[in-house]
Amino acid sequence: MPATTAPGGPPAPAVRVEAVSKRYGDRLAVDDVTLEIRQGEFFGLLGPNGAGKSTLVEIMEGLRRADAGTVALFGRSPWPRDTTLLPRIGVQTQSSAFFVRQTAHEHLRTVAALYGAPRTAVDATLETVGLTGQRDVRVESLSGGQRQRLAIASALVHAPELIFLDEPTAALDPQARRALWEVLRGLKAAGRTIVYTTHHLDEAEELCDRIAILVDGRIAVTDSPHRLVGASRAPSRVLLPEGRLDEATARAIEGVERVSAQGGSLVLETHAVGPVLTAVDRIAGLDGVQTRTASLEDVYLDLTARPAEAAGTAATTAETTEP
Amino acid sequence: MSAYTALTGAGYRAQVRDRTTLFFTFAFPLLFLVVFGLIFKGQAVEESGLSYLSYTAAGVLSWGVANAAVFGIAFTLMQWRSDDILRLIRMSPAPLTAVIGSRYAIALVVGAVQSLLFVGVAMLPVFGLEPASGWPLLVPVLALGVTTFLLLGVIIGSFADTPESVAAVANFLMLPMAFLSGSFFPLDSMPEWLRTVSLVMPLRYLNDAVSHALAGRGDSSDVLVGCAGLLAFAVVFGAVAMKTFRWTRSS
Repeated sequence: MPATTAPGGPPAPAVRVEAVSKRYGDRLAVDDVTLEIRQGEFFGLLGPNGAGKSTLVEIMEGLRRADAGTVALFGRSPWPRDTTLLPRIGVQTQSSAFFVRQTAHEHLRTVAALYGAPRTAVDATLETVGLTGQRDVRVESLSGGQRQRLAIASALVHAPELIFLDEPTAALDPQARRALWEVLRGLKAAGRTIVYTTHHLDEAEELCDRIAILVDGRIAVTDSPHRLVGASRAPSRVLLPEGRLDEATARAIEGVERVSAQGGSLVLETHAVGPVLTAVDRIAGLDGVQTRTASLEDVYLDLTARPAEAAGTAATTAETTEP
Repeated sequence: MSAYTALTGAGYRAQVRDRTTLFFTFAFPLLFLVVFGLIFKGQAVEESGLSYLSYTAAGVLSWGVANAAVFGIAFTLMQWRSDDILRLIRMSPAPLTAVIGSRYAIALVVGAVQSLLFVGVAMLPVFGLEPASGWPLLVPVLALGVTTFLLLGVIIGSFADTPESVAAVANFLMLPMAFLSGSFFPLDSMPEWLRTVSLVMPLRYLNDAVSHALAGRGDSSDVLVGCAGLLAFAVVFGAVAMKTFRWTRSS
């Protein structure tokens, strides 16, 4: 795979964003964001609606110009429009961005021609996203999930090195979602770089090498999902079948911070799972007891619920990202 | 396959698969021909000796071709921008000239079919149009007319974000222009100052040139002046279109 390499140096990062800010009126949509995505990395960008994800992604894609700061893809600025850089980038379109009154195959053929990609890539890409059976169906007649898969195919048909995907699984049923995960893992295995925005935290945890969580236009954290969860302040939960233990006894166990009854279980929240389990074993036995460690979702909710506090910890956490 | 060929192919398929729009694009000028033909049957325009019908046929034809060129591209660009098709093209290495060029090829074909159909119907015995000897000049004149009004349509399509605003703006420009440029009523019957005003309207030049080529009004200098006027407007519209073109709503 061609990589822009400085003479004698490491390959240029796929994406380098440095001190980028963007203001709309008096609202700072992107506030001094710096991040770097290595070639071959699967990078997740998370954050609540309105946190500035779309703006940041559009600045990376070169669709918007940053007010301040610099962006480079493979060492080159995506703004203004650079037609020699664009073939290396694939962007998932909106599920409405289809040439009207065309079949799925005709649409994708047109997109392929825009990139000068070979026509054989069209059938192969339809196969990849599982739309071979719909090749002769008009785009207007496709279901929501099929439209979304065609939009993803539009980003992949010219075999780009850097792929931007925006909530690609939002309209997919569970089977199609798992099938797409396999496609994405295949792309990563082939050395492609993927920038992924999603609201599905299980998906981010499953797929991404590293994620950044954007809150109020700032990056609250950047790290691997594993280390984020590990460093989480969110408590783990021990679930006991109802009636095994009364609430007062549970609350008296050392290390238990909160006790509640939820969905037929007694839930003990704690930061000291080991000692609490030992105590539960002694009092009531461990039969049918489940433990749930903090998930990425807990980390996410924790960070996005307290933006002011989270922004304060951003600097320290961001510095502890991978080597 | 080049981006231009692919976009032209997609545009052609979209056009012929939309039967309703296709039908009315061609039926609209014919409707005016029928209405004016019925109103003014057998009347002659004062002092010119031309039948009113041959006068009005030329005017309606130039207005019809110009109208289709403006609306066709303005709607397409607005729709492509709001559907994010332009964003998709913007993110590919395809040049803007491939986008506009593909729409230009389609507009030329639409204009040619419109003209053939219109002149053919006007030559039926009911209407009795007899084309003047200079009729082959219609080909370059109408092609230039399509060019000028397509570029005007690019500007409208870059400003308008909804179908309603395309229709409002395009009609606001094209309908008064049709009357003031003498497409529907002879300029000779208008006050002097209005005739002067018509000189700043591109449709006036298309009318004059088509009137000579099709109906034999005036002389061959009308064709030359008409073409020069259209060319000048094409350059101005082209320059403004380049300045105002937007790939996405936010850019």
